[in-house]
Formats: sequence, C-alpha cells, structure tokens
Amino acid sequence: MSCPHRFRFVTVVLAAGLLGGIAAGRAVAEEPVLQEEESDIVRLSPVTPHRVLVHDEAGQHARDGRVYVVDADAGKLLGMVQAAYNANVVQDPGGKAFYVAETVWSRGNRGDRLDLLPAYDPQTLTITNDQVLPGRALVTPKQNDLAVSNDGKHVYVFSMVPTSAVYVVDTAAHKVTQTVDIPGCALIYPWGNSGFTSVCADGSLANVSLAGDHATVSHTAPFFDPEKDAVFEHSPTRRPDGKTWFISYTGLVYPASLSAGTKIEPAWSLQEAAGLERPPAGDAPFVKAWRPGGWHLSALHYATGHLFVLMHQGTFWTHKQAGTEVWELDVSTHKLIRRIPLRQPSMMVGVTQDASPLLFTGDKDGTFYVWNATTGKLLRQIHHLGDDLYYTVALGE
Amino acid sequence: MSQSDRPEPADRRAAGHPGERAPGLIDRLTERLTRRMASHSSRRSFAGRAGAWLTLGSMIPTLPVTRADAAPAAKPEGRPKAPTPFAASAQTTDPTTCNYWRYCAIDGFLCAACGGGVHSCPPGTSPSPTSWIGTCFNPADGRSYLVAYRDCCGQDACSQPPCLGTEGDQPSYRPQANNDIIWCFGTGALIYNCSTSVIVGNAS
Repeated sequence: MSCPHRFRFVTVVLAAGLLGGIAAGRAVAEEPVLQEEESDIVRLSPVTPHRVLVHDEAGQHARDGRVYVVDADAGKLLGMVQAAYNANVVQDPGGKAFYVAETVWSRGNRGDRLDLLPAYDPQTLTITNDQVLPGRALVTPKQNDLAVSNDGKHVYVFSMVPTSAVYVVDTAAHKVTQTVDIPGCALIYPWGNSGFTSVCADGSLANVSLAGDHATVSHTAPFFDPEKDAVFEHSPTRRPDGKTWFISYTGLVYPASLSAGTKIEPAWSLQEAAGLERPPAGDAPFVKAWRPGGWHLSALHYATGHLFVLMHQGTFWTHKQAGTEVWELDVSTHKLIRRIPLRQPSMMVGVTQDASPLLFTGDKDGTFYVWNATTGKLLRQIHHLGDDLYYTVALGE
Repeated sequence: MSQSDRPEPADRRAAGHPGERAPGLIDRLTERLTRRMASHSSRRSFAGRAGAWLTLGSMIPTLPVTRADAAPAAKPEGRPKAPTPFAASAQTTDPTTCNYWRYCAIDGFLCAACGGGVHSCPPGTSPSPTSWIGTCFNPADGRSYLVAYRDCCGQDACSQPPCLGTEGDQPSYRPQANNDIIWCFGTGALIYNCSTSVIVGNAS
C-alpha cells in the first residue's frame, strides 16, 4: 500500500470508529439505570396435568436423591426437593400435596436413623408437615413401595424391618394410624379410599381392607409362578377403580380388579397383540425375542385404556434391560396400537392423565424426553435433567 | 473276673508258655505258607522280588494318571455348556469388570473395584451378615456355585461403574432372590457402598 493510500485508509478507520463510538454512547445513554432489587421466591401455579414430578435416585451418590418439578410443555425445570436415600414420591390425586418417603442419619452416613414422610406444598415446594415414620423399606426406588388412597387421606408406606408391613399414615391428623402386617408379601397397589393389594411370594395377592384402626386381609389363589415367570413390580394401576394389569417377564398381562375380593382375568400376551409369538421363559434361556423390561417399564393412560410398555430384544433374564421401543396397546381389545422407536434406550416410561397426554422416557445420561402420547412423536427433551431418572408422577396418578 | 482266674484249656497249657494263646486257623495257614516259601526260595531271590514290588508300589502314586481323591465327587461327562447367556460370555480372570463369572446376578458397584475384593469389603465399610443368593456358572471348571451377594455398608455408593446382572433375579416380593434390596441389615447404618460375591456352596 502506497503512502497516500495508507493515509486515506487510516482516516476512514478513524472516522468509522468515531461514529461508532458516538452511536454506542448514545445507546448506553438511552438504557435506563438498573434499579435496586428485592430477593424473592417464585411461587408456582396450582398443579396442571403437564406439570410432573420426576424421581432421580442419584444412584452414584444415593444420599443426594431428589425429585424434580418439571413443566413438560415448556421442557423446563421449575424446582426440586431433596429425596434422601432410595426415596419414593407420591402425589395427592387432586394435586394438593406430594409426599416423599426418605431416610436420613443424624450424622450423615451414621448415627441415628430417621425415616420421614415430608408433605410438600406443590406451589411453594415447602414442607407443610414433616412426618416421622416407624421405618420403611430401603430398596432401589419402586413406585409401589409408597402409595396414596384415592381421596388422598391415607398414605401407605411399605416396610421390611422387622417384617413385611405397611404403615398407614393419616395425612390430615399427621400420624401413623395403624401397621398392617403382610407376611410373605410386598408392595402396595391402592384401590378406593381404604384398601390396597400386595403381591405375595407364592404368586398370590393379599387384599387389605382398612376400617377404622383395624384391617382385614384376604388372599387370592396363586395365579402365576414367581420362579418361572414373575410379574413386574412396576405394573400399572388405574387409580379411579384400582384395576391393575400385572405384566410378567415373558410379556403376559394379567388384568386384576383389585378389591377385598380381587378378581383375576385370563392373561393375554403383549407379543401376540403385536402379531408375534409368545416368547419362552427361563427353560429356553438363549431364545431372543421382544420382551418387556427396564425399571419403571409401564404406564397406563386411564381414560383411553392405552398401556405403554418398554420393550427390547433379549433373552429371558433381561427383564431390567432398557427398552428400545415403547409399545402402545389397548387393554380392552388386547391389540397393539403403535410401536414407538426411542432415540435412546430408556429404563422408564410415564404418561400424563389428561385428554392430550404426554409420554415420558429417559436415557442413561439422565436426559428427559417428552413425546406426544397421541401421535408418538418426540416433542422436546431436557438434556441431563438428572443422574438416574426412575419414574414420573402426573396429576391424578 | 481276671484272666488268671479262668481255667485254661489242656491243649493250650501243653503248647507253650503260660498265657500264650493257641494258634488259630489263619495263624497256622500263614505259618505253613511262610515255611513253604522259605524252603523253596533263597533269601536273596525273596529279597529281590519283595524289593521290586515295594519299589513299583511306591511309584504308583507318581504315575501320570488322575488321582481319585483329587477328582470331583461327580465329574460331569464331557465339558458342560454354559447354561445361560451370561455364563456363555463370562470370564474368570478379572473381578473388576461386570462379566466376571460370579456377577451373573449382582446389582451395584463391585467391591473388587472399590478397594475390596470379590469376597472382601473395602476398608472403612462393614459386611452385611444378610444377603441373597444367586447361582452362577464357572466356565473354568464347568460347575455352578451358590454365590452370596453380601453388601458392604457404612459409606455411600462407591460410584465405580455399576453392574447389573439379572439371572435368577426376582421381584422384591421374593426377597431371597431380589437384588434391589439394600442388603445392609445388621450393620450400623444401612448405607450401601458396594457388593461382594462370596461362594457359599457347589450348586452343580
């Protein structure tokens, strides 16, 4: 560049810089001065059908478990509460509160053990009552270890020490009203306002009717062989009437109308509903087939009777393998409606209970996927919402 | 009654010293055989044959044949096939990875990768006296073993990569066969750190 040209170039650059500076200065001058602020706390709206609780076990540091409150429409985290050590969460069916069953020790990993059932205000996420429990089962979180009655007046807590039992908590009086022994049985499938059913080691069911401060227990005959083809703990219950669809390792579905006199209907097959053969059980351990599996592997949309089940291709003892597809089936016609391939294998599936339901899955990185449950299309995802997403709780469940 | 109080038979008294028993049939046969062998062989040939038998007899245990007392009580015919998919791909050398043969039904973090061992708790933790039992196939010897999955407790999760073996795993309404339960009963704090796999019996 010759000398005159260089002079001209420098002049242009300086002029541009001067003009830019004037413009920037004018813009700064036009910005209002930031005002002093007050610290406050966000208050959430009342619970909506698409605001869900998402349980994170945080298995790599289990004392730090938590429950996330998520706006599934916006794909946004609204808040969280602690859920210490293999905790469980259940929500009042009307959305007035949610309860976390958790365990802490007075000195962190040692000291006096304290089993708690805090009740949370769903709009402030503050504790309205911090109920002390006589104990509870410490087991990898299963939704059916904690349940609530249809009217929300009783919370049921499963315990294993010293024996299998269920603590009945009065949510208004804030006390444990009774302890129901269920020897040889476990889990809680609630029905109505004052009853629940448990699954027993011999393949039968124990039906518990609560009245005042006493309980009556009846048993069904065994209807499955736990050694050969056990039913999953995470089988879905239709809350309004307590009907439960027990799903077995091989994919048999046993509809059961739970009550004091539970009736169990003949089983139908998930695979046969999809036009496939029933896969063999453990006596043919190398046969690969489409099978149900995962952790919280099924969900039910009550109004339509659509059952969503995580499926994968595997051999018999792969019942905890993450699902690569969600199969949507009609529980009244026993027909497959849709197979939804997943972006990533999921250990959990959940669904909301409104007329425009959303479907939820996760992945090994803790990402939360939101699907349109009516079309089977992926809507959005929340990247790494948590560490170990175990299950969701939606309004009305 | 003392022996001296007993009346002795007449032939015994006549045959030898007082107190000696009369030779029985076996004694008499043995004596006759020995005398006949001595009268038909020299001392040197007897010593040679006896020495040869002794030498051969002492060498039998060293021969390259399977020793009966080292063989299994019930050795299966041929090499058993792995009974399950896990067993078919299991290895027997590295207990810090999930496909180690004993981990067919383990659920959690491997104590062997957390400062402990296959049957040892890491320092700072306590073994639970309770556990559930699985059955795993050992590809190295073709036998199945009962394995107790005893948790080590007192510290929070070890956080090494988790393993999830599910062969024989049943739901928690069958607690004796469920790997989800925190098997820390009987320890101070029921906080789970890692899992060991202790052989407690032969299941073949």
